[in-house]
Amino acid sequence: MFPVYLPVLILLIVASAVALGMFTATSLAGPKKPTPEKMLPYESGSNTTGASHLRMSVKFYLTAILFVVFDIEAVFLYPWASLFRELGWFGFVEMLLFLTILGVTLVYAWKKGALEWEK
Amino acid sequence: MSMWLVIAPLLLMLVSGLFIMLVDAFAKERAELALVTSVAIAVAGAISLGVLVQGGAPADMPEVLTRYLASDPFAHFFDVAICAGASLSVLLAGGYLREHGLERGEFYVLVLFSCFGAMILARAIDLLSLFVGLETMSLGVYAMIAFRRTSARAVEGAMKYFLLGSFAAAILLFGSALLYAGTGHTDFVGIGEMIASGDAENRLVLVGMLMVVVGLAFKVSAVPFHMWTPDAYEGAVTPATTFMSVSVKAAAFAVFVRVCMVALGDESVMTASGWPTAIAGLAVLTMVYGNVAAIVQKSIKRMLAYSSIAHAGYVMVGLVAAAEIGAPAISAVLFYLLAYTVSNALAFGSLVVMGSRGKEAVHYDDLRGVGRRHPMAALPFVIGVLSLMGFPPTAGFFGKYYVFNAAVQAGDVWLAIVGVLASAVGAYYYLRVIVVMFMQEPEEDQVLAVPMKSGYVATALAASGAAVMALGMMPGWFLDVAIEAARQLLG
Repeated sequence: MFPVYLPVLILLIVASAVALGMFTATSLAGPKKPTPEKMLPYESGSNTTGASHLRMSVKFYLTAILFVVFDIEAVFLYPWASLFRELGWFGFVEMLLFLTILGVTLVYAWKKGALEWEK
Repeated sequence: MSMWLVIAPLLLMLVSGLFIMLVDAFAKERAELALVTSVAIAVAGAISLGVLVQGGAPADMPEVLTRYLASDPFAHFFDVAICAGASLSVLLAGGYLREHGLERGEFYVLVLFSCFGAMILARAIDLLSLFVGLETMSLGVYAMIAFRRTSARAVEGAMKYFLLGSFAAAILLFGSALLYAGTGHTDFVGIGEMIASGDAENRLVLVGMLMVVVGLAFKVSAVPFHMWTPDAYEGAVTPATTFMSVSVKAAAFAVFVRVCMVALGDESVMTASGWPTAIAGLAVLTMVYGNVAAIVQKSIKRMLAYSSIAHAGYVMVGLVAAAEIGAPAISAVLFYLLAYTVSNALAFGSLVVMGSRGKEAVHYDDLRGVGRRHPMAALPFVIGVLSLMGFPPTAGFFGKYYVFNAAVQAGDVWLAIVGVLASAVGAYYYLRVIVVMFMQEPEEDQVLAVPMKSGYVATALAASGAAVMALGMMPGWFLDVAIEAARQLLG
């Protein structure tokens, strides 16, 4: 009905065929000589210890999120600083607003105890 | 009109969001956050309504605002719908969260920021502001679904929505990149002009369009992109479900209409890509599947989730008609979404009021005989489901009437017939609520649902009930406003 989409359809078919074909070919034609060592889960060459489905403490995520937030801030601040004169007052106020919002969130996270490792 | 008045709703959302964050962090005892939040959102909506009624865009908007965000009547109309939905959800939350011991300030902050994103989305006239608005809105919603974090169901729903939503966002973003590659523009008007002039790289535009439509269809929960909807709606706390099903859906439809009509509204791209045909197909699937699946549900919340899927289908009928006849059909979509917002908020609000702590109404069976025991609590539910069903003289009736009428005018009579038949099927599960409440008695050993007493919830029910009746009694005024908004959208 809409022949313009034909190339997309063809690409879709070719891509799936290639992917499927590769997997089928390797599983059919590839040599298989399993040894106990080969069947172990790979962990940088050292022997596996403990269960692989380890539950990480949520504290790590909090720290990571806070890190990302302030990392983004730094990324945003550098180009702003190098263009400070050209941007003028507009840029200054804009950055001030951004920092205020970030400041409020930091105060919030602090008050809520996100920065304390042991509670 | 002052520029500040036009952007005041957005600023109000942002400032009150930050303010409530600080109050939540520092307040020692329980603060009336629900009241403050719902008033702030209602004021934002009222400002938009005032701007809408007064009409006329301010001449002195600086370029930094007009480049990415529109401030046209279309945006303000959606502000009204989004704010109405959000404000009602917050009122419901004020009663619900306290009753069920979940009262934490984060909820209101999330609603405010999510509402901010929704309003950005309704104003987006650029692929960049579209994406930023969509993500701002969605991130708050993901967290809101998992609000009852000890419940496995809530976390499951949130994870499903989050993973699928991220995937849909990626598809949308890829589509946006292709649209930019094909036209050299990210703003909707620029894309539309490039396509109209024939300078655009057609293949890129078509594939990009396809992916953008998929991304947006996911957000409005159109079949077959609806898989997350029942689980997310069921797992979320009911006020969050209300917010998702009204405000988020309205905002997603706002940008859907804008993308389709402004960026892809050219005759050539319509006939070449056939997006009206594609969306008509989605609409039929959505209406039929949503209604049929809603019939077999035992849980009322799940039934309302499928019903909201079905309603997305009716709105898409209006969008298909808009491709043919333009402004009249868009105004039908606008009216429908406003009517759906208040009706659905009323229905979910009635579900909230039906349960007190540990005695929540979940299944149809829990509602047995409630109508006789607590007639005042059952009355809003009756009005809500009648309006969702499309029974005159409620808001839902005129919503459906205008949308199907637009489809007939556009020559899509078959689409209107499918819609009417589908909503006739829908009458079964809506009326079943009334039958169970008034004509059945609970079994001997059944735990009875006890209605909760809360001023917040009562206010929300009264406000949404009044809005449902007002839209049903005098739809003309709102329709006139909607027609004007639709005209200005098409320029």
